[in-house]
Amino acid sequence: MMEKIRSALRELGADTYTVHETATRSVEAFYVRKRLDLKRRTDLTEYEVTVFRPLEREGRALLGSAAVPVYPDMGEDELREALASAYHAASFAGNPRYELYRGRREELIPSRSGFAGRPLEESLLAMAEALFAADVHEDVFLNSAEIFAIRRVRRVVNSSGVDVSWETFEVKGEYVCQCVTPADVETYHSFDFLEPEAEELTADAAAALAQTRDRAAATQAPPAGTYTVILSGDHVGTVLDYYRSRSSAGMVYQRYSGWQVGEDVQGKDVRGSRVTAVLKAAEPYDGEGIPLRDRPLLEDGVLRTIHGGSRFAQYLGIEPTGAYRCLQVPTGSTPLAELKRRPYLHVVGFSDFQMDDLSGHFGGEIRLAYLYDGETVTPVTGGSVNGSILDAQKHMVFSAERYRSARYEGPFAVAIEDVAVAGK
Amino acid sequence: MKVTASPYLTEHKPLFRRLLQMLLEEYPYASLLASDIREKSWSASRRLTSISGSGQFSARGFVVRVFDGAHWSEHSFSRISQDLLPELFAQIKETAALSPLPAGVAENAYAAPVEEETVFRGSTDCEVLPEDLGDDEIIARLTALRDRGLARSGQLLDCTVRANWNRTSKLFLSPKKDLEQNIMWTVARVSAAAGRGQEIKTSHEAISHLGGLELLDKLGERVARVAGTTVELLDSEPLVPGEYECICTPDTTGMIVHEAFGHGVEMDMFVKDRAQARRFIGQYVASPLVTMHDGAAAAPETGSYFFDDEGTMARDTVVIEKGVLKTGISDYQSAMLLGTQPTGNGRRESHRRKAYARMTNTFFEGGTDRVEDMIASVKDGLLLAEPASGMEDPKNWGIQCMVNYAREIKDGKLTGRIFSPIVLTGYVPDLLKSITMMSPDVEMYGAGFCGKGYKEWLKVSEGGPYIKARIRLG
Repeated sequence: MMEKIRSALRELGADTYTVHETATRSVEAFYVRKRLDLKRRTDLTEYEVTVFRPLEREGRALLGSAAVPVYPDMGEDELREALASAYHAASFAGNPRYELYRGRREELIPSRSGFAGRPLEESLLAMAEALFAADVHEDVFLNSAEIFAIRRVRRVVNSSGVDVSWETFEVKGEYVCQCVTPADVETYHSFDFLEPEAEELTADAAAALAQTRDRAAATQAPPAGTYTVILSGDHVGTVLDYYRSRSSAGMVYQRYSGWQVGEDVQGKDVRGSRVTAVLKAAEPYDGEGIPLRDRPLLEDGVLRTIHGGSRFAQYLGIEPTGAYRCLQVPTGSTPLAELKRRPYLHVVGFSDFQMDDLSGHFGGEIRLAYLYDGETVTPVTGGSVNGSILDAQKHMVFSAERYRSARYEGPFAVAIEDVAVAGK
Repeated sequence: MKVTASPYLTEHKPLFRRLLQMLLEEYPYASLLASDIREKSWSASRRLTSISGSGQFSARGFVVRVFDGAHWSEHSFSRISQDLLPELFAQIKETAALSPLPAGVAENAYAAPVEEETVFRGSTDCEVLPEDLGDDEIIARLTALRDRGLARSGQLLDCTVRANWNRTSKLFLSPKKDLEQNIMWTVARVSAAAGRGQEIKTSHEAISHLGGLELLDKLGERVARVAGTTVELLDSEPLVPGEYECICTPDTTGMIVHEAFGHGVEMDMFVKDRAQARRFIGQYVASPLVTMHDGAAAAPETGSYFFDDEGTMARDTVVIEKGVLKTGISDYQSAMLLGTQPTGNGRRESHRRKAYARMTNTFFEGGTDRVEDMIASVKDGLLLAEPASGMEDPKNWGIQCMVNYAREIKDGKLTGRIFSPIVLTGYVPDLLKSITMMSPDVEMYGAGFCGKGYKEWLKVSEGGPYIKARIRLG
């Protein structure tokens, strides 16, 4: 198909293009309690072509572009028509001219994951065994689970020589824990493993089940007020992702962010931890075929990299770094137990924790939190956390414990003083 | 005019039939859903212009569902040809034979599906196709609107005007069903941003309909309002958390309908014992003023279709009637387990994904109160506007919605004070039972997307009238 696409582009005179090819194979299982309800497999090959067109408007050099999906079953006429339509559309979507990333043909980079080389159904079953191994209690149990074992091979080809491909494996999914007494409640959990860390999944599920038991015991919302709020796990990554978002070349070019390299973006009067962060190369290339490597993003709150693909990097006159989706942050020096010596509200479950990268607001409704008033720890539910990173970044303290997920590696917990909480 | 069929699906239909026939020689039941979905989007912002024919729902592919006499399996794929049929058949057999059963886990057993003989061909209406206007004209219109928005205030960082167009063609074949449908919807949106220091405030409005790009004619009036609200938000204040008497704009009502009760009556959640609603059928769960509908046939909007992704014809389901919960909304597989009728709500994100019980067009019926009277009735409260996102909690009937801003009402009048952002939380029945006034006109909003938990994104619409209720805000 790739050759058919290139040939059709040549015929069209479209000599600037990028083609993405994604081949996905998956095995999927859907469980309700201890019953398999549905099994699925997918075998999908998909293409997306972006056609570029140099333009001149009022003396300005522009580059128009338009993307179009291409399907493996497309006949020659349909393919030609789809690409011609995109090439025509590109005439009217002109932006300042830039060059596509220049590269060369590289061999397929095979995955080094422990999932590689095993049949997907075997990986799925191993992780399903690990999940259900934690489901050993009478009062609290797995209500339902969905598990997906996925192999992807991505290929990026462009008209400037890039022809790279790489393979990835993951087993991801979600599960719901239920506890029926003293109240009938549930908690939601998700996972995304790039390695067959079965024991970790069992431990996570066991902790999730224990939390669900606490959720069943929680009856009250915390009193309204301001608290030292402790966030943990993916919620920490969600808050810190503000720094990755605000430092992207696209945000800077469009003036949604005024950040500059060398600027102290965490600001003055920081009483807590200074933020250091690395853009983590979770895959060998980004969607343009730009090779990814770990890059410093922040050092002690000072911005070290504006990151992005060819287009926005060239607009800003900086090196294209590629697009990153994973942030790595060093752990702090304070154990979580130490952070919990003083009164706190540790929120372990939200309905939907949100971080608005533009306003800096973060928050969400509390599904389960632990309230320590200086004497006792009480599980609470209800109310909401309402914070702003613009204030919070002055007094965040990171825990010494480590956490890792597909999009975030760093401190397991962060304590933030003076966060408003709506409650009873 | 009627939306035309996908030539690809028409041409390949004999091939789909052959594959189905091969499967029916092996299994007691099989079905095939073929999709061909075209999308296009255009946008103009201060510094960027874009056109794309590759959208979130663009897809062409197939999903085969097989019943082996007791168990269900599905196989999703993207290629089909005469030569590939033996290989596809073998792959589908392999999928049906999968047995991912951890220790102590058994496989659910189902009765054989029962179908009625149905043949259907249907298309929605449209007036203006993308090719009628042309990419140049569409971009020119969006650019003019963008310029009009930016001209409203020098404080605006940006104004973005965007249009999304979708034409969905689907074909469903099973032993007794032969269904084809062609649907078109369009969404147009204006958003603006303004900054003060590191904080950037945004506002947006969107319109949608079942039809083509004739929708663009209605976008102009929104631009000035969005630009004005964005600048106003620069002076917004944080809200003191508490319970407030609130008037909700129809889009905010829509989000409450969707998040508060819509997800709670998806009947695959009944199967899993994940929804309280199952135990409240026939009971008061809302004010007697409230009548709630869901259905792909309930309103002509972005959640509309003629049949769902499991081949069940669309309906208009009355979920709540005068405050009493009547029924849920169901996919086919859940209905089989529950011994109920499917309601035409079995939807997939795409052929790549499983079908779940999902919402379509979800809304409250209108009431009898004038909006001016509703605002005048508030002594000390807020007008909630511009919903941003929400999350369901069917098990515990919690609700969380993020709302962009609230306007203060004192002694029945808007004071000009504005608060942002707002987190709306609470216990669903408390909120719905507190509704005391509703305006007559229902407005629908189909610009948003609906997820099941944190995935499985679908196009839906939601709406209702202005409502007055007591709501906990943060």
